[in-house]
Amino acid sequence: MFKVEDLRYKYPKNPSDVINGISFEIAKGEIFGFLGPSGAGKSTTQKIMIKILEDFRGTISYNGKDIREYGDDFYEDIGVSFEMPIHFSKMTAMENIEFFLKLYKRNADVEKLMRRVGLWEHKDMMVGEFSKGMKIRLNIVRALLNEPHMLFLDEPTNGLDPTNAQILKDMIREFREAGGTVFITSHIMADIDQLCDRVAFIVEGEIKEVDSPRNLKIKYGKRTMTLEYKENGETVREEFPMDGIGQNETFLNLLQTKEIETLHSGETTLEDIFIRVTGVQLRDEQ
Amino acid sequence: MNSKRLWILIVGELSRLNKYGVFSISILVAFIWGVVLFLISDSVLGTFLPFVLFIDATMMSVMYIGAEMHFEKTESTISTMLVTPVSNAEMVLSKVLGNTIHNLISSLLIVAAFYIAGQLDFINELGFSLILVILGIVLSTATFTILGLVLSYYHKDFTDLLVSMFVIIFVLMIPAVLLMFGVIKGDFWETFMLVNPMQAVLEVIQGGFYNAAGELDLDYRYFLSLGYILVGGIVLYFFWAIPKFQDYAVRQSGV
Ligand SMILES: Nc1ncnc2c1ncn2[C@@H]1O[C@H](COP(=O)(O)OP(=O)(O)OP(=O)(O)O)[C@@H](O)[C@H]1O
Ligand SMILES: [Mg+2]
Repeated sequence: MFKVEDLRYKYPKNPSDVINGISFEIAKGEIFGFLGPSGAGKSTTQKIMIKILEDFRGTISYNGKDIREYGDDFYEDIGVSFEMPIHFSKMTAMENIEFFLKLYKRNADVEKLMRRVGLWEHKDMMVGEFSKGMKIRLNIVRALLNEPHMLFLDEPTNGLDPTNAQILKDMIREFREAGGTVFITSHIMADIDQLCDRVAFIVEGEIKEVDSPRNLKIKYGKRTMTLEYKENGETVREEFPMDGIGQNETFLNLLQTKEIETLHSGETTLEDIFIRVTGVQLRDEQ
Repeated sequence: MNSKRLWILIVGELSRLNKYGVFSISILVAFIWGVVLFLISDSVLGTFLPFVLFIDATMMSVMYIGAEMHFEKTESTISTMLVTPVSNAEMVLSKVLGNTIHNLISSLLIVAAFYIAGQLDFINELGFSLILVILGIVLSTATFTILGLVLSYYHKDFTDLLVSMFVIIFVLMIPAVLLMFGVIKGDFWETFMLVNPMQAVLEVIQGGFYNAAGELDLDYRYFLSLGYILVGGIVLYFFWAIPKFQDYAVRQSGV
């Protein structure tokens, strides 16, 4: 659906490129995660893909057509949520939404969306009086107003409490179930780990790895079992290789004779893998 | 250009001018003029009303659009406008038209304030041709709004813009005022000074007022100014306001 080839970009005021030749493809009906630390170039890539930043090098095509050839009707097709709140603060949530709604040919069911993100009761409140999380939720509604075929979400979970983050993730999944395609960025891996069909790791404007989270875990995860048990009032910890675990006498013996405290497979988190692949530590600023 | 969408945008602009209190400021300004007029003698209509309308069409136009662009900037709403099917031309035009409509209303409020303050006698004589005055206000406001837009592209914030605006307007206004009060005289100067857009606006607005004999007195300078403002506005719009808009909007959406 979206194909990015050898994308490079330099901000007019910067001396050098911030995007250094990245290529990836997003299939229709896929949730594609774009993960990387602060300043990696996630938002920049998104802004290029949605035709806000223009002087890029390389090619990007949407449904087989170069995005440069699309006119403003491109925006009937996509929905965008930005990192920061983007609403008129001295207008109510509903006044904001109704204004934007009128600019599109296709209109979503606003009440349903607003109820879903828990803003329907606050629809007549000035957006200026909204909390940060409420503004982010309104951004999501804004992104879905035109029933887009493709969604671009820049750090959508940033600033949401766990409950609302969960609602958002459910909405994204439902969007995909209904045939939609999603490009989502985050610098918090755990946030969108289970959500994405595939993820790309981006560091300093370069993609280091693209694959499904599952494949990445198989590829980079440690195949071990860790067992913790009580012995003489103390916790003992032992690690066993996953291969042939069913025939591993020591392991089985411990299971049968000891008081087991915890038993974990060596599931590596996406964050661990990220650090392993890129050598870059992710900082969680928020 | 999609006219339905343009209309939605203009209505949006006007309702925002209202919500953000800009309309209230216009009403307050008209009220203050009313009070000022009530206090001064009643023989100054001939010079004073055109002068006030001239300020409204020039300085206030730049200020209102500057304030509006400032609000949009602080709220990053331009980013979200960029991802709607609205074209840049539609966005710029809606701002120009929205601001022009607002300024026309505010000018008419000022005329009403003159009337209420007893300076104008609508029943016996209007003192000016309403159509020509409206024409002058609309053209001048539109052109100065475009100028204000372009100025706001190049300024970091509203205070910054205000400072530049005052410097520019002050410099341009001095010769206009000197001419108006007859300090500078002569046919040559009166024509030459029209290269000053402020002077041209003053000419166009004064052109709508009757002279001592109760007639309109439109000479070549009037038409020259009218053409100048119109062409100037169009050139500024097509060669500056629209092409530079994307750059400006992108900078606003920057990190
Ligand atoms: N408007 C701009 N002008 C110049 N440089 C910019 C601009 N916006 C971003 N950059 C630079 O480009 C690089 C990538 O920034 P970008 O915003 O894409 O990062 P990001 O991955 O989205 O980070 P974050 O997680 O903090 O949002 C950074 O080095 C940043 O300083
Ligand atoms: Mg970002």
